Amino acid sequence: MNKSLITFSAATIAAVFAFSGCGKKGEDSGGSGTPDAPKKKMVEIRAKGSDTMIQLATAWAEDYRKVAPNVMVNANGGGSGTGIASLQNGTTDICNASREIKPEEKAKVKEVTGKEVKEFVVAYDALAIYSNPANPIKEISIEELREIWAEGGTITTWDVINPAFTGKISLFGRQNNSGTYDYLREHVCGKTAEGKQREFRGGISEMNGSAEVVENVAKTPTGLGYSGMGYKTPTVNWLKISKKKGEAGVEPGIEAARSGSYPISRKLYIYTAGEPTGETKAFIDWILSDEGQKIVAKEGFVSLK
Amino acid sequence: MSSRPAGKIPDGAAFLTPTPSMHAPAASHRKPFRLLDALEKPIEWIIRACGWSSIVCIVAIFVFIFKEAAPEVPKLDWIYFFTSSRWIPNPAPGNEASFGALALLVGTFSVTAIALLLAVPIGLGAAVYISEFAKGKVKETLKIVIELLAAIPSIVWGFIGLMVLGPIVKSVFTAAPGSAWGHIMMTLHLASADTGAAQGTNLLTGGIILALMSVPIIVSLSEDALRAVPDSFREASLALGANPWETVRRVLFPAARNGLLAACMLGMGRAVGETMAVLLATGHNNRIPAALTDPVRTMTATIAAEMGETVHGDAHYRVLFILGIVLFVITCSINVAADLIIKGVKKSNNA
Repeated sequence: MNKSLITFSAATIAAVFAFSGCGKKGEDSGGSGTPDAPKKKMVEIRAKGSDTMIQLATAWAEDYRKVAPNVMVNANGGGSGTGIASLQNGTTDICNASREIKPEEKAKVKEVTGKEVKEFVVAYDALAIYSNPANPIKEISIEELREIWAEGGTITTWDVINPAFTGKISLFGRQNNSGTYDYLREHVCGKTAEGKQREFRGGISEMNGSAEVVENVAKTPTGLGYSGMGYKTPTVNWLKISKKKGEAGVEPGIEAARSGSYPISRKLYIYTAGEPTGETKAFIDWILSDEGQKIVAKEGFVSLK
Repeated sequence: MSSRPAGKIPDGAAFLTPTPSMHAPAASHRKPFRLLDALEKPIEWIIRACGWSSIVCIVAIFVFIFKEAAPEVPKLDWIYFFTSSRWIPNPAPGNEASFGALALLVGTFSVTAIALLLAVPIGLGAAVYISEFAKGKVKETLKIVIELLAAIPSIVWGFIGLMVLGPIVKSVFTAAPGSAWGHIMMTLHLASADTGAAQGTNLLTGGIILALMSVPIIVSLSEDALRAVPDSFREASLALGANPWETVRRVLFPAARNGLLAACMLGMGRAVGETMAVLLATGHNNRIPAALTDPVRTMTATIAAEMGETVHGDAHYRVLFILGIVLFVITCSINVAADLIIKGVKKSNNA
């Protein structure tokens, strides 16, 4: 893997050199040859960070080319932490993050770059927990969900949650390379005693698509599944979620996701070092506009407005 | 890999024989055919290359699979691989990946076992009927229809399993909580909950689909084996006063034993290696099944579902190739065993 990484970075560096060389030549000839056709300089915006947001970031990048053909947005993953680290050492202009920046990270960026971190909330992300309409249980807590889904969890039957319903819980999830899988693992499975992320338990039916999860829950009275909020159909019920058992559950919905009262939701952020300027500012403004937010909804997230 | 045994060859040979005899008179009328003469050698070589290509292919496939898997072979905890069912190839950041393939192996073998339990009696029964009892048009029609069954693409079988058979299996294996049927299902391990099967795509559905896919192989090979038994055996048996059923059971089955066994093993090879149908029809659930209608996950389906998303060259990618090697070894040994058994048939016939 290391070898291929080195080859890859070498190729990238070579490509960058070749590209910048070409760019200069083009500018020169453009400047001296035809002064009446003012050529806009090609600008590259580097965006790096959250893997959850990579599809969204790529979709933004692609659509933004139509708005500003001279701007090339280069969207990369690596994780929110990697994105913030890149912000520190100046290797990215924009950091996509699926979590809030930590105070110490903020301080570090300030210390290294001398600039204050600017935060933009660009979208919301929320997952619904689906059950069968025949199931009288309409509310569940995060604590209970953890014991149902996580490895070594103690809840395998419905009567533990509410004696009104019996039977083994049949779990329907997504396959292990899905972003939804990662998200639920992070938000519901919790941490082990050593402070590490708990994995999912075995024996979960891993479906290829979110719609398939919902369909199976619809057909199975004892079923329980997770998917984006957009997959709700009349044949399934979604559970109200509370943080702790005994607290009032919150019904999933766009408003609940936006306000943050729904527990399995989060904000998606863009961070920049210092107040963004020029093309970067224009790009972020466009993301926050109706056009950019339309893409948010299209990619399965909850838009700001 | 699915090497058809020698029993198939007579058909092909019979089909080919007229061709040279049709061309021979034409060649004798027109003499200056020097070009063809000159081409004779190269054509011979081309045909020889075609013959050897299969060996080249199988070696190349093995080398390729092994090359991709090799760096991980010494690193993998093999005991854990075969004894744990903790399959977590994409762990959360900070956690170690875990490659325990026991449930996948059990999944593959349990689906195959169900398939064989269904396919062997049906396949042998059909072969006996076609070879011994069916006459004229019925016989020809049945043979054609069974060949057609073999031509249905596996993705179509998977789709039938998912959309047609799955819902049927689910509705049959469903009961009200506390009902008698629910109790029966629990005691007989037909379902792991007294409400019945959790989902239509499960071990049973996958097994039925695989059985339907291996029946044509079992039928056509068993029929060849039965036909290879000399008529004198049948006549002798009937002359001794045995009825047709006794003839089949006491004379034909023992005489064609090796061929029938090989037919079943090749059917099994088909079931073990099948991917698309089981991917859709078995429920993709990494667990050791406790009941007939529990969902399972097979090695082939795991490779198909996860290969597309792995980083080329990392441990997960290589472990999927190791799964491939395990499959390759299983199907190869099944096919080689079947071939050896057929060879045994020839020897005993010659003797």
